[in-house]
Amino acid sequence: MAQTEEVLFAREQEDSYNEQPPEIQTDKYLIFSSDGLMYGIKADLVKDIITDYAITYLPQVPAYVKGVINLRGQIVPIIDIRLRLGKPEKENFCGIVVEVEGNMVGILVDMVEQMVDVPLDAILPVPTNKGQAMVCGMCTLADGSTMLELDCELLLHE
Amino acid sequence: MGDSILDMYLYETNTLLEQLDGILLAAEEADTFSEDSVNEIFRIMHTIKGSSAMMEFSSLMTVAHRIEDLFFLVREKGMDIVPEQTRPDLFDMLFQAVDFFRGEIEKVENEEPLSQSIDHIVNKINSLIDKIQGNPGPSEEAPAPAEQAPAESASEAPAAAPAAVNEDYLYGIHAFFDEGSGMENLRAFMLITNVKDYCSDFVCSPDNVETDPSTADIIADQGFFVWFRTAEDRNAAIPGVKNAGSVREYQPVDAAKPAKEEPAAEAPKAEPAPAAPKADAPAKADAPAAKPAAGQQQHAKESLISVNLAKLDQLMAVVSEIVITESMVTSSPDLKGLRLDNFTKSARDLRKLTDDLQDVSMSLRMVPVSGTFQKMNRIVRDMSKKLGKKAKLTLIGEDTEVDKTIVDAISDPIMHIVRNSMDHGLEETEADRLSAGKDPVGEVILSARHTGSEVIIEIKDDGQGVDTQAVLNKAIRQGLATPDHDYSQKEILNFLMMPGFSTNTEVTEYSGRGVGMDVVKKNVADVGGTVSISSEWGKGMTTTLKIPLTMAIMDGMEVTVGDSMFTIPINSIQSSLKVGSQDVIHDPHQGEMVKIRDNFYPIVRAKDLFCMDKGRENIEDGILMWVEAGEHSYCLFVDELIGEHQIVVKPMPNYVNSFGVKNFGITGCSILGDGSISIILDVVNVYTAAHSAF
Repeated sequence: MAQTEEVLFAREQEDSYNEQPPEIQTDKYLIFSSDGLMYGIKADLVKDIITDYAITYLPQVPAYVKGVINLRGQIVPIIDIRLRLGKPEKENFCGIVVEVEGNMVGILVDMVEQMVDVPLDAILPVPTNKGQAMVCGMCTLADGSTMLELDCELLLHE
Repeated sequence: MGDSILDMYLYETNTLLEQLDGILLAAEEADTFSEDSVNEIFRIMHTIKGSSAMMEFSSLMTVAHRIEDLFFLVREKGMDIVPEQTRPDLFDMLFQAVDFFRGEIEKVENEEPLSQSIDHIVNKINSLIDKIQGNPGPSEEAPAPAEQAPAESASEAPAAAPAAVNEDYLYGIHAFFDEGSGMENLRAFMLITNVKDYCSDFVCSPDNVETDPSTADIIADQGFFVWFRTAEDRNAAIPGVKNAGSVREYQPVDAAKPAKEEPAAEAPKAEPAPAAPKADAPAKADAPAAKPAAGQQQHAKESLISVNLAKLDQLMAVVSEIVITESMVTSSPDLKGLRLDNFTKSARDLRKLTDDLQDVSMSLRMVPVSGTFQKMNRIVRDMSKKLGKKAKLTLIGEDTEVDKTIVDAISDPIMHIVRNSMDHGLEETEADRLSAGKDPVGEVILSARHTGSEVIIEIKDDGQGVDTQAVLNKAIRQGLATPDHDYSQKEILNFLMMPGFSTNTEVTEYSGRGVGMDVVKKNVADVGGTVSISSEWGKGMTTTLKIPLTMAIMDGMEVTVGDSMFTIPINSIQSSLKVGSQDVIHDPHQGEMVKIRDNFYPIVRAKDLFCMDKGRENIEDGILMWVEAGEHSYCLFVDELIGEHQIVVKPMPNYVNSFGVKNFGITGCSILGDGSISIILDVVNVYTAAHSAF
């Protein structure tokens, strides 16, 4: 991450409380990249960030379900978000384990970037029809890039 | 009022009602009450009365009280005083009363107001009491039981008159609490606290009321004594006693005198005059009588504790982790090639202990299905009366133990299916049954048994069975089936489990609302089970629930296919064998078979079934696992045999199950010693999947 960006992020995190009136509520988001896009997941859904786990292949599931891993005794299915969104597969393994509706699911992403605070009202609705699949909100970050909020429930249910 | 007290009350009352139901069913069968069961009912009613009064549920208390009165008579005079012709009424009334209690308890649980109109049931009880006593006039019955009491208490009255517990404290107050108020020891403790406000120098008897609940019975029985040094102290303390809650009556007693007495029967408060020794208040006559039974019961109860299920879940999870971690330690790659005699010995001991630990923690969650099964007795009884169909329920394998969560989940489905059998399954009239050459009394058989990894519960009736044509017609009418398609018997029966499907045209009290089998199917599916129906027209219908043992431990054989590990349950494996390609017989559909001991068995290649990239192709390179489960017997072709392990079955995550992997024989997974995951195969479903694929 470029240095200027880090400064900007730091400002976003630390100063938001001081400069803005306290009634502006923010949510923490974990930002990750996949196929050149920045996605955000609500941080309280995130249970773990994993690398280098042996994935056990599961037969008879869609290709985007890469298999299951043993996360401290829990069996967690792993979804490759690239395949899930119909993008080409890429060899890497960095996963975010999220808990959605009581189910733990790991999401394979290109890279986990950063945590940010996003004011609730900064999340804008996705324009209909042209919207990115599995996205339930959009938001412009302090560095000018756009974060797409991943709809984790949609990810599971389709 | 503390929630814990309420919880305790609900738990206790529910347990008692279940017990009562059981006694009543047994008694109805025998058409009489044994002495034991009379005592037991008496005791149950007494407890319900007492605890309900304490919780201020007056409707419950009143009904329980009347039944107690009734059984008081029965107990005194024996069952013979109940004329033959009134016995059915008696049983009906008791069942009604149990239902009434249940209803009220449910209201309490839901925090709804209790019903006030109990006259109906109370009148019924009263008229029964009249009949038993041969008293036509209803005015008599109320005092009647009370009149019986003194006579009875004469024999059972507390033997010893109170003796002073300490020579220095001779001036006593003898107090009685409200009849049936329950928790007398705590009330006594409150009384002591009250008295302390007026005078601090006293002793009491029994003296350890706040710590020893068993004193409650003694106090209920003999009253509670507070002893003072001087008469002045005693007089000063009287207001304290008077103001303490629930004190029915009290009187000063002097220990110096040989006979310290209680007031006559309905003495108002603070009557100092000594009375005859035997006259324990009549209303209390039940207390000593109930005591022997209560004492036994209490003893049994004290060895049981109720534990929050969540804690057991937690325990189970930790134990399975320990088992896995243990094998990680003992089979650690760091130990390879080392000769460690002491370590190996300790590891073996550890293994044995963790095995025990696992068994024990598993058994904590296991409860017999008998509780659920027994409830069905009641349903069959009620429905056979209501519908005028004679029927009996046969229970098989009641003591089969299953996980508590499963018991809870299958209770409603079983009830529903039993109702269906009674309502639609059994023939309308006895004549119908006789003309079909059957026993006029219909039979519903409820059975439970374990197979290796499943509990199988069967509900079977010998009724008319399912009219498949009618079912099909209805399915077509409802648009569930297409008219010009040939459906197999099994497919037609499956329509019964479609949402909104009911063959009965009329809605009855019990079934026919069309919210039936689909709900059953859903409930069973929630615990990972399946429902199947089989039926033969004219012979009856069998509904089978197959439910996997969640969190089960089982012995499995590890095999590999390509890079993946699979576990096959040991109990479905017949043997493993190596064959050459010349032994494989091909059929016209590219199917492969092998001949083992004069029989041909199909070969299922795991690699092909699971569409795996790696894995052995040549039949010589791999190994055949001859497996058998249910009616299927076949050979599963895998790469290598690793060995036998005891594994902890972990269910597949819900998300994975939503892709229907169960249908391909993937029932769960287990974590191996090195932390890797092995997939557990269900032999039957592997076969069905393979069969439908070819």
